[in-house]
Formats: sequence, structure tokens, C-alpha cells
Amino acid sequence: MKITDVPQDITYYEGEKRACYALDEKGNYVVVPSAGWAAEEVVNRLAVEELAVRLEETRKAVLAGLKSPLCYHMERRQMNPDILGKTAGLALFRVKRHFRPDIFAKLKPSVLNRYAQALAVSIDELTTVPKQPPERESQP
Amino acid sequence: MTEELTSAGRPFTHYHAAHCESGVTSALFRDKGVDLSEAMVFGIGSGIFFGHLPFVKWVGLPITTFRSRPGTLFSKVAKRLGGDFFTRKYRNARKGMDDLRQALRQGHIVGLTTNIYWLSYFPNRFRFQFNGHNIVVLREIENGFRVSDPVLEHPVDCLTEDLERARFARGPLEPRGFMYYARSVPSHPDLRKACIAAMKDSCNMMLRIPFPFVGLRGMRWLAKATIASPDKLGFQEACRRLANIVRMQEEVGTGGAGFRFMYAAFLQEAAALFSSSELSDLSREMTAIGDIWREFAVVAARIIKQRGQSDQTFAKAGGLMLICAGREEQLFKDLDRIARKLKA
Repeated sequence: MKITDVPQDITYYEGEKRACYALDEKGNYVVVPSAGWAAEEVVNRLAVEELAVRLEETRKAVLAGLKSPLCYHMERRQMNPDILGKTAGLALFRVKRHFRPDIFAKLKPSVLNRYAQALAVSIDELTTVPKQPPERESQP
Repeated sequence: MTEELTSAGRPFTHYHAAHCESGVTSALFRDKGVDLSEAMVFGIGSGIFFGHLPFVKWVGLPITTFRSRPGTLFSKVAKRLGGDFFTRKYRNARKGMDDLRQALRQGHIVGLTTNIYWLSYFPNRFRFQFNGHNIVVLREIENGFRVSDPVLEHPVDCLTEDLERARFARGPLEPRGFMYYARSVPSHPDLRKACIAAMKDSCNMMLRIPFPFVGLRGMRWLAKATIASPDKLGFQEACRRLANIVRMQEEVGTGGAGFRFMYAAFLQEAAALFSSSELSDLSREMTAIGDIWREFAVVAARIIKQRGQSDQTFAKAGGLMLICAGREEQLFKDLDRIARKLKA
């Protein structure tokens, strides 16, 4: 890759640039900042959108009373039950059990506190989900 | 390049690096007055690799990696160049943060392993639960730390709370607050000896690991799996898998083409070090291979973007990967032969 080939297609790193290795005119390697590559953007978008879609489905499921808000906040932090359990210091089976809304509603404040700390949200946030779908780019 | 001050009041030059671990290791050496480029560090740490882990899932997708396991690069560089490094993992988060502050007060710049999701200074799109990101902490500031993150262009501020979460995040590859800094490094490390050992090591990892999913065997396996994937998994799932390979290749701070360009830069520096024309030929060959990897990414992006309407096919993408495998095999065989002839 030559310096002139370093992609400067789009600026979707929110103003940041990434380092690329490229050859200068003399054939020596130099580090060149790149604003972004269209091909990379396609695959990144696929991953980000997949997460957003799954999060939106969970949000609706919570509003419909099928899952507890805990599930939504876990997915918002891109965690899985295993990571959440370890972070909060709770057994995996308990975490999974707390995805049931009826059981989640009866949790003690001490357990809620652990989840709130692990997910870096307040207890009020933890026990609710947003009524409107979150804005696209400001997720997570 | 940006000038900054460390806690000891020394000037620190922030270099923009492609990869976090090699960037941090290079920064630690440069701070001690040994000017090692990122590419050199990447080569000496035997950073180049290929592996596909079909049974280890990350967000439901198998892991493909173009680099050695996180953490090994730093330790290999430290071993091969010598030097006295402090390294420690912590069970207790408070102790970990106290030790960080103490090391900063003593005037060190400190490398940390962190979880990228909790580093809020990153663009949102890159914040995924990944526990192998490395950063350098320069000094403590009000409510946080001044951080030189090698993959960003300039140093940034990081909140104490974020940093603590990032250091002690749980999950796969837990960092456990891993912290490292150089107490002293040799002022004239034996680069030639280190390069030879590193090249041989890289060749072994690429050519001789008797396991079907790593090295060039892994690359061929994945190429064939990619060709078969639309029939086997359905178009949608095949696209997800393919996209994941390209993400690992381009997005996760690789300097382009899954570290192939960075390794070519290393080979170029090594060629100058040994005044070897054979190594510069290999560097050019590695650049050519990197260009094919970039082409593979373009083909993959077209397949995904046009949802099967384009003339690009999975067979073509897999075919390009097979070409890369063939040429890389020859390259590493040549490199192995040359490295054995070189005199330290």
C-alpha cells in the first residue's frame, strides 16, 4: 500500500484517525493517519446494527413484560450473563433467573445495588427501560 | 507525534501507533531513551500470526486472529531485549489503583491492560467488550489520568472511575489490573540477536504448530470454510462470519491488512539492520501479500453490502485467502532459511 492508497473515505471515527502502514515514494514504510475505509465501514456497520437490533428487540420484550429490565441493561453494556455475573459477584444461575420480570421485581435492594454497580447505572435506570428507542449513533 | 509531560516532568513524545500492545511497549522503551519503532517491537515480539478458533465464540462468532495472543508480545520483547520490568496482576482493585499512583509518583510511565468498552474516550463504534487493550498512563490529573493511547493520534484524559472499571473488567482474557513498567532497559540492546530469535519463532508459529486451526493450516482451513459457508450456513450467517474476519483483519488496530503491512515494515528495518537484500525482497513480498488481503476485504465488503446481488462470490473471497496462504507459506519458509543464515 502506498501513501496515496491509504483510505481517507469517510470520517466515522468521530474525528479520530487511525494509523496505517504505507510506503512513501522511496519505498520506505511510514505511519500514515487514515480517516476511515469504506470496506471497513461496511463490516463495522453490520456488527453495530446487529447489536442495535437485538437491543431494540429486548427493549420491546421488556415493555411487553416478557423479560426484566436487567436483560436490557446487560445487552446495552454488551455483556452476557457470564460476564455480568462475574462483575456483580453473583452466580450465573441467579443472573439468568433475574431475567424473569416477576423475580426481578422482588429483588432486595442489596442485589439491585450490585447490578447497578456492575452496569454503571443508577437503580432508577436499572429498574426501567427507555420508552422510546435510543438514538442510533449515541448507543451505547 | 505530540509532546506531553510525565509525572516526573520529563517530556514524553506520543507516537501514533497502529497496534496497542506494540505501541505501548515501544513507548516504554522510548521513554528510557532507546528509540525502537513500533514495527521493530512488533517483529521482535513475534506479533504476526494467524489463528481461527471455531469453538471459542465471541458475541456468537468464532474468533479469527491475525496476531499472537494478547500479552505475549510484551513479554517476548522484554525477554529478548533484556531489561528489568515490573509486572503485576491484582486481585484487589484498590491495591491496583494505589500501586498505579505510586508508580506514577516515582516517575514511571505505566502500561496497563484494559477493557476497551469502559474507555469512554473511544468513539462509540469501537467500544466492544474486549479485554486486551493496552494503554500508557503518563500522570495523574484531577478526577483522572492523562493517558497516551497509542492507537489514537493524541493523548487523552481518562476518568478514574472508567479506568478502574476498564482495568478490572471481568470476562474472557481478564486483565486483572495487569500493570507493567520498565525499571531499567539496556541502553544498547542486541537487536540483531533478538530479531533472529523472533523471526525463527514467527516461522515456527506460522508453519509448524501441529494443530489445524492455527498458522497457515488455519488460514487454508478458514479459506475452505468460507467457500463452503453460504451453502452450509445460509447467506445471512455466512455474511456475518465473513464480516467478522474482515473486522479482525482491518478494524482492530492492525495498521492495515491484518498486521501484514506492519510486519513488512519490520522486515524492512531488519533488512537495514543486517544489510540483507534478501530481507528487503521479503518485505516487498509481504507488502504484496498485504495488498491481496486488502483486496479480500474489498470483495467481502461488496458481498455484504449488495446482499448477493453483486458479481463477487464467497468462492472468490476464499480463493484470495488461499492465494495469501500459499504466498505466505513460501515467505515464511524463505524467512526461516534466511534467519538461520544470519549472524547475530
